[in-house]
Amino acid sequence: MKLRWNPIVKKDLQVTARSMRLSWGLFAYEAVLTMTFLMALSIIQQSSRSFYSSGNVYGKLIYLFPVLAVAQVCIVAMIVPVITASSISGEKERQTFDIMLTTCMSPFSIVLGKVMSAVLRILFFVVAGMPIMALAFVVGGLSWSYLFYFVLTIILLSVLSGSIGILCSALCRRSITAVILSYAFYFVVYGLTFLPMFLKLFMTHAENVGESMLLLLFNPIIFYEEFFMQLMTGESVFGQNGSMFSRDEVGFITYHLSQGRAWVFLSAACILLLSLLLLMAAAWKVNPMHSSSGRRRKKK
Amino acid sequence: MSLCGSIEKGRGIGMLYINDLTKNYGSFTAVNHLSLHIPEGDLFGFVGPNGAGKTTTIRIVCGLLRASGGSVRIGGTSAAVGSKVMKRMIGYVPDFFGVYDNLKVREYMDMYGSMYGMDSRDIAKLTDDLLELVNLSDKKEEYVDTLSRGMKQRLCVARALLHNPKLLILDEPSSGLDPRARVEMKELLKNLHSMGKTIVISSHILSELSEMCNSIGIMNRGQLITAGRIEDIMQQISGGKRMHIQVASGMESAVRSLKEQPGIRIESVRENEIIMLFNGADEEISALIGLMIQNQVVLTGFYREEGSLESLFMQLTGGGAQ
Ligand SMILES: Nc1ncnc2c1ncn2[C@@H]1O[C@H](COP(=O)(O)OP(=O)(O)OP(=O)(O)O)[C@@H](O)[C@H]1O
Ligand SMILES: [Mg+2]
Repeated sequence: MKLRWNPIVKKDLQVTARSMRLSWGLFAYEAVLTMTFLMALSIIQQSSRSFYSSGNVYGKLIYLFPVLAVAQVCIVAMIVPVITASSISGEKERQTFDIMLTTCMSPFSIVLGKVMSAVLRILFFVVAGMPIMALAFVVGGLSWSYLFYFVLTIILLSVLSGSIGILCSALCRRSITAVILSYAFYFVVYGLTFLPMFLKLFMTHAENVGESMLLLLFNPIIFYEEFFMQLMTGESVFGQNGSMFSRDEVGFITYHLSQGRAWVFLSAACILLLSLLLLMAAAWKVNPMHSSSGRRRKKK
Repeated sequence: MSLCGSIEKGRGIGMLYINDLTKNYGSFTAVNHLSLHIPEGDLFGFVGPNGAGKTTTIRIVCGLLRASGGSVRIGGTSAAVGSKVMKRMIGYVPDFFGVYDNLKVREYMDMYGSMYGMDSRDIAKLTDDLLELVNLSDKKEEYVDTLSRGMKQRLCVARALLHNPKLLILDEPSSGLDPRARVEMKELLKNLHSMGKTIVISSHILSELSEMCNSIGIMNRGQLITAGRIEDIMQQISGGKRMHIQVASGMESAVRSLKEQPGIRIESVRENEIIMLFNGADEEISALIGLMIQNQVVLTGFYREEGSLESLFMQLTGGGAQ
């Protein structure tokens, strides 16, 4: 079978490419990135000019990369839900969603197409920001391949954020509530996944965390932290070769995950799995055969 | 409903079978045990006042709404509502629909075509033919959001025909159109009908449907009141046709000769017009005219009331009509 474009992706890209929003978005994105770059550079220079510093500015330029990367990650995490959260509710508001559902597109491919188009749109931005990133790489003395890995993580992150947005879009009638709900969802994924660990620490008087950290596999913050640590220092969040914990302080699985790069890969797999589950939930929700009562249509 | 049989009589195989369809919204019943059978090649008009449940029924048939009970079958297959087999057989034009900004007519068609898994080149060829059919050939490179309401409506019909469905369902295709666009839409539908498509149209304007449909179903408050061929329905329920007779002179003898005839009920007599209900064949009408002329009545007009179907509708749907 010939590999073909998801029609929704094609249409969404056609439509965005023609809208002024894309140009303005790109402009804003570039501006923020450049400002971050210049600010980081000036801070690094200032700190190295200070009295106590060794005066070696080049050693610190390596930090340009994580600063810029974190800036990009934050922008992506903030923008993607806005794009996808408005996608299904936007189609509903425009009353084109019904027509889409009567075609041979399955609800899952509709939902997937919406997320893919958001990911591709984000990649426009990331690719446009590439020269600045490359500059940070070169002056920081990092390998090129890391840039590639970084783009992969951005895709991963935007798939997750997009899936969160699309589920909220399927749940809400209005785009704006969908956006707000996605940020509430962020709080669950980014914040509440820490909860078991804190509870366990509290209960054991900070002696043993057991396996309570495993939920953090789904947390992009820890994923990125581990990713950057591995890139920059070759160490893990859990210390060099997991030295932060002794064997009896954590559970068996956590201990082994904290060795080497296992955490990054497993975390990526977990995040993908979570995204898939969210996509399936969204597809289930938009399928009219699954909801017993139809929504009330607006009349002009 | 026994009325279903009357449509079937001596015609093609069934295209759409709706059996005992029910839809509840909480305690409110929007569609109440509706059974309907539409033969292949029909142009079926679905009439009812606002809130009758037409849109609900149509959305269930198109797989956009889950029924609370009953079944729908199309084209003799036993495929479930909302399945791909079923979706391929239906072309749906909703009552209200939007279009995308920044998308050209050609791309619009291409998008929906590829949603049916069609090849881009096939779509391009079909698009040309279909745009020709709906009279939009010159708009191919225009943006869809710049088209007028009528054009969008026709574009939506072209879109619904892309995958060559057996059954075309249009929900109030002429709502919001000006008279000219209505006529164009009507011509288009008649044209499609003559090409052998089975078409279902919903509307609350009966006279509009009666001009093009060959069968209709009247719905009110979720129930199908009657369904069948237009002629049959007229006969069946009105129990007579309202006639206007304009008379220049000889009024008394006209009234007298009318009263002698069986099957005639005089409704009102004005200065030079008689309104009567007549329950008979067209040949009897000509005999009647001959008789009156013999009796020295000077006739200046003799016609069947235009709105009779409309008044039938009002009579059937009772207080529900607005
Ligand atoms: N989602 C819903 N929830 C509750 N009631 C609904 C819903 N959708 C429709 N209804 C009710 O179902 C009834 C039938 O509505 P429907 O839209 O099918 O009518 P219609 O015949 O299409 O009318 P119109 O001519 O105005 O289009 C109405 O009384 C409406 O209020
Ligand atoms: Mg309606």
